[in-house]
Amino acid sequence: MISKKVILTGSFGVGKTSLFNQFVYNRFSDKYLTTIGVKVNKKVIEVKGEELSILLWDIAGEVSQDKVPVSYFLGASGVIYVFDLTRPTTFKNIERDIEYLKGLLPNGVTKIVGNKCDLVTPEQITELRKEIEIPFDITTSAKTGENVNELFLKLGEELI
Amino acid sequence: MKAESKKSLEDRMLLEKLREILLERDREELQEVKRLLNDPVEVSKRVSPIFDEKLRYLKDNFPREFGTMVDETIDKRLKSSQEELLNIIYPVLGQMIRKFVSQQFQMLKDSIDYQVKNTFSSRGILGRFRAKLFGVKDSDLMLGELDAPIVQEVYVIQRYSGLLMGSYSKTETIDQDLIAGMLTAIKSFVEDAFQKEREELEMIQYGSFKIIIQNYYKYYIAVAISGSLKERDRDELSEKILTFAQNKLKKDIEFITGEVVESISTELKAFFEEDGTNLSN
Repeated sequence: MISKKVILTGSFGVGKTSLFNQFVYNRFSDKYLTTIGVKVNKKVIEVKGEELSILLWDIAGEVSQDKVPVSYFLGASGVIYVFDLTRPTTFKNIERDIEYLKGLLPNGVTKIVGNKCDLVTPEQITELRKEIEIPFDITTSAKTGENVNELFLKLGEELI
Repeated sequence: MKAESKKSLEDRMLLEKLREILLERDREELQEVKRLLNDPVEVSKRVSPIFDEKLRYLKDNFPREFGTMVDETIDKRLKSSQEELLNIIYPVLGQMIRKFVSQQFQMLKDSIDYQVKNTFSSRGILGRFRAKLFGVKDSDLMLGELDAPIVQEVYVIQRYSGLLMGSYSKTETIDQDLIAGMLTAIKSFVEDAFQKEREELEMIQYGSFKIIIQNYYKYYIAVAISGSLKERDRDELSEKILTFAQNKLKKDIEFITGEVVESISTELKAFFEEDGTNLSN
């Protein structure tokens, strides 16, 4: 078994904790509780016949990524940058944020995730793909569970 | 038709006249009652004695009449707002308990002092000799033995990632990977929030439990200790951790696999169990 640290980051209210809960516990809650500081959890998945223990750090949302303590990111092998497909303010600084994260973790795997896909139509997603400066990797719905496991499996494959 | 209607009118007038004669007294009485009711002084004069009597009755018979109902209401209220009550009571209780415990401790110390002074066993004599030699009170010496620092858990954690490299625990705990992760998050937060050049978190204390942290270049070792840890014990523990790190963690570990965790955990168990977890020995 291999252990890897993965960071969940992005603006507040984009659904990081919901993705985290959906991935770790297979559950979703409509109640919004802002994360204080950081929450750590773990899930073991199987990737290419090998066990991978993902230590997931769910970091409290900040509009600006550089307001999060740098040390939270250090030692991470992967970063999941989450934005909300329905709130443009959550992806307006995406380019700057990704550049900042890549500067901190040059060898880390980064996944850009558009969450809350249950609230938008496929046409709107196509429009957003044209609008957002950086191509995003996957769209997910923490509410319905759509693509959540796929996201972590893809990330896991790249981490091993 | 006209004659009939005239007759009816006369009848009605007669009836009205009769009513006036018969009800005149009643009307006067009604007016008087109205006047009395609108006069607060008069009302009070008449009603107060009744109230006074009822109140006297209630005072005398309240427990019998309403006791059960009040008990039930309080019971229900207590059950529904346990948390609120605890919030109010907790600080008061805390102070009382603290006072009680310190009082009990004083009594215990006095009793130990008395015992030591009256003991002629070799251990007693030696204990007293040691106490006198080092200028320590007899009671402190004996209490120290009762409250010896004991290593409960040891974690070797990769410095920034917070990934667990190995652990040793005397008892079952929650997922040790999570402990390592959260410990690292707390450590990172403190070090970031109170940025001082090259300074790192070295101890976390809660109640009688302490977590001593020894930082190295690529990892850190956290030791959870119960009991009272004196400066001398802490130096000894530091030495112990350093010896372990120098002898058992020589390899530069980049990737943490199940084998790495198992190997370090086995080393930790052997080292701390062989050497003893009681630091005052």
